Amino acid sequence: MTFPTTRSRSGGSRSRPRGGRRSASAAGPLMAAPGLILLTAFLAIPFLGAVVMSFFRIQLGNPRPPRFVGIEQYARLFFDPDISATFLRSLGNNFAFALVVVPLQTALALGLAILINRKLRGMTVFRTLFFMPLVFPLALVAVIWRLIFARDENGLLNGFLGAVSGGAIGPHDWLGDPSTALGAIIVMSIWQSVSFQMIILLGALQSVPPELYEAASIDRAGRWSQFVHVTVPGVRNTLIFVTLLTTIFAFRLFDQVYLLDKSASINIEATQTVMYQVITTGYDQNNIGQGAAMAVVFLIIVAVIALIQRRLIRQEGGVE
Amino acid sequence: MLTSCSGTADPSARVDAGSGTGTITVWALDGQSAENEAIQKIMDDFEKSNGDITIDMQFIPADQFTTALQTASDEELPDVVEVDGPLIANFAYLNRIAPIDDWVSKDTIENQTAAIKGQNTVDGDLYAVGMMNSGLAMWGNKKLLDAAGVTMPSSAADAWTAEEFSDVLDKLAALDPDGRPFGLAENNGFSTEYGIYAFAPVLWSAGTPLIEDGRASGALDSETAVEAVETWASWRQYTDPDTDGVAFQSGRVALNWMGNWLYPAYKEALGDDLVVGPLPDFGQGAKTGSGTIAWSMGGATKNATAAGALLDYLMSDEVVNEYTSANGAPPATTTALTASALYGDGKPLAYLSAQLNSACPTEDTLKVDCVAVSRPITAGYPVVTAEFGKALSAVWGGADAAESLSAAARAIDRDFVDNDDYK
Repeated sequence: MTFPTTRSRSGGSRSRPRGGRRSASAAGPLMAAPGLILLTAFLAIPFLGAVVMSFFRIQLGNPRPPRFVGIEQYARLFFDPDISATFLRSLGNNFAFALVVVPLQTALALGLAILINRKLRGMTVFRTLFFMPLVFPLALVAVIWRLIFARDENGLLNGFLGAVSGGAIGPHDWLGDPSTALGAIIVMSIWQSVSFQMIILLGALQSVPPELYEAASIDRAGRWSQFVHVTVPGVRNTLIFVTLLTTIFAFRLFDQVYLLDKSASINIEATQTVMYQVITTGYDQNNIGQGAAMAVVFLIIVAVIALIQRRLIRQEGGVE
Repeated sequence: MLTSCSGTADPSARVDAGSGTGTITVWALDGQSAENEAIQKIMDDFEKSNGDITIDMQFIPADQFTTALQTASDEELPDVVEVDGPLIANFAYLNRIAPIDDWVSKDTIENQTAAIKGQNTVDGDLYAVGMMNSGLAMWGNKKLLDAAGVTMPSSAADAWTAEEFSDVLDKLAALDPDGRPFGLAENNGFSTEYGIYAFAPVLWSAGTPLIEDGRASGALDSETAVEAVETWASWRQYTDPDTDGVAFQSGRVALNWMGNWLYPAYKEALGDDLVVGPLPDFGQGAKTGSGTIAWSMGGATKNATAAGALLDYLMSDEVVNEYTSANGAPPATTTALTASALYGDGKPLAYLSAQLNSACPTEDTLKVDCVAVSRPITAGYPVVTAEFGKALSAVWGGADAAESLSAAARAIDRDFVDNDDYK
């Protein structure tokens, strides 16, 4: 995008009258307009709406007028013993989930991408297989994993562990036990969405020039040092993008918990997330004001984390 | 016309009698295809016998139904609407539905069973009439029970006490290959509407309502409630998680806590081995949940006469019989219930109608010898069901019952106070 503009600017003063420059500078906003309009309509305005609603007591569907309550919704979020305990617990679960999922899923995605980037016969079969969980609807995924994690010996995981251990490992309540509930959700989430990051990284891998690998092998670089010195720098920007994206996805964790909670006995205290609280408070309990306040606080937290991440790991050559 | 005692504006203020002819709009839940077909046929028949009234029929999916009703303008509100029982008080508070006392015939109202009338009455006004009802029971596999020397009680008066029930489970567990002879449809999830429907009877049977005098504190978190819920949760060690939903049909469990709607499947799987009896008695008599979808009138109908005529028609024996045969539910009218081939006297599910006939019918009128109770009738019901379900789910998972129930009670009361007690 920047290249033609720069050229027309540097050359423009010589060969074109002032009018041409003005139309060139109008092109930028004009081309940005569709994106900006959509972002305003679907992100900025709803967010401002949430900010406004968070200062009111609004009951969903209630014809009686909302009542202004100032910062009460926020005060409750941090100081009411019940609400703040639930909110902080959910936030804690979110952080625990992200801390495990972001590095694990990014590394796994890179590993899978490298594996399926080889030119072997039948590789498309593997690509399709790895990619498949992503196209399954989450409701279906939840049903499958409910069967896998079932707490009796008929559960697939318990059955498998029992069989390979010759009955030495007894059935475990994966979703009900607070020590394994979040872990179970983590495994399920990674299984479901790792292929998304894998596909993005695969694209990046294929754009690493093969000459670099040839040069490296002439220099007698081994597989590992090729990986560290050619592959990783080659996909660095994409890797950063993927990490950022995974972080945001990780904080958005909702469907898995919600769906499993609706269809099985899971330990909700150990697995509830902020998004889960926002949705259940807003739509199951019709308390829109409180839900909006949670969403606003949460958005600020996620935005701060994203900014910190970008500070720590800068992309090269990108737009700052 | 009487205004309601809560001091709010007349709930019928936006209703007009209308001409009794012309088009009326009907909203129904988009349910099982057998039910939809039955409803559609009933509406067609009504049109045929009432030449001056045409019906504009709309089936709305369950997940969009509440939103559609909440957000409809007065012009968009239907004339006749199907509503989920426990939400009637909430919809009445939101002026989405109107009292029907003045628009349906006396005979129709008198023929409604006490159990369904209890669910459909808010602040003394009848807001809906029901074709069907529902009920819970303990379902047993006679072969497995006999093997352990256990006999299913046949009346609510003879119900197992909670303590006896623990012993029964213990006996059955000794013979059960995996030691889990009991099912309560854990796969439905307890933080859903199923939680409060299926397990509020635990509290009622112990002698406490969920909400007393507009507050949950002192009721939902009372010592009585905590003890009962703890006992209930102690049965988890005997409980098959029933992930596939067929634990009872496949003979994996000997006893199953379930509603009437699975009777056809149970009968088919177990045949003559299927026995049915009361839920355990937690001290103040066995109880069951009751109530289900009913028919109401739009809060701003301009043709209440025609709407009332349709409601009368829906509650006629013929129609109730046709509809309940399609879905297997217990009829909610006295005459149809007595005549029912499934629920009538001496018929296979007579036990369930005996329960419904001894209706409390609401949780503020609990007695030892009544059985069927409607879920709390309050405009704040959405928060009650959400919080109670969450607490049940947590306690079942091992959380402290006193802590979970009092947290739920505080959350419910806070919501009530925030909303000026829904006055």
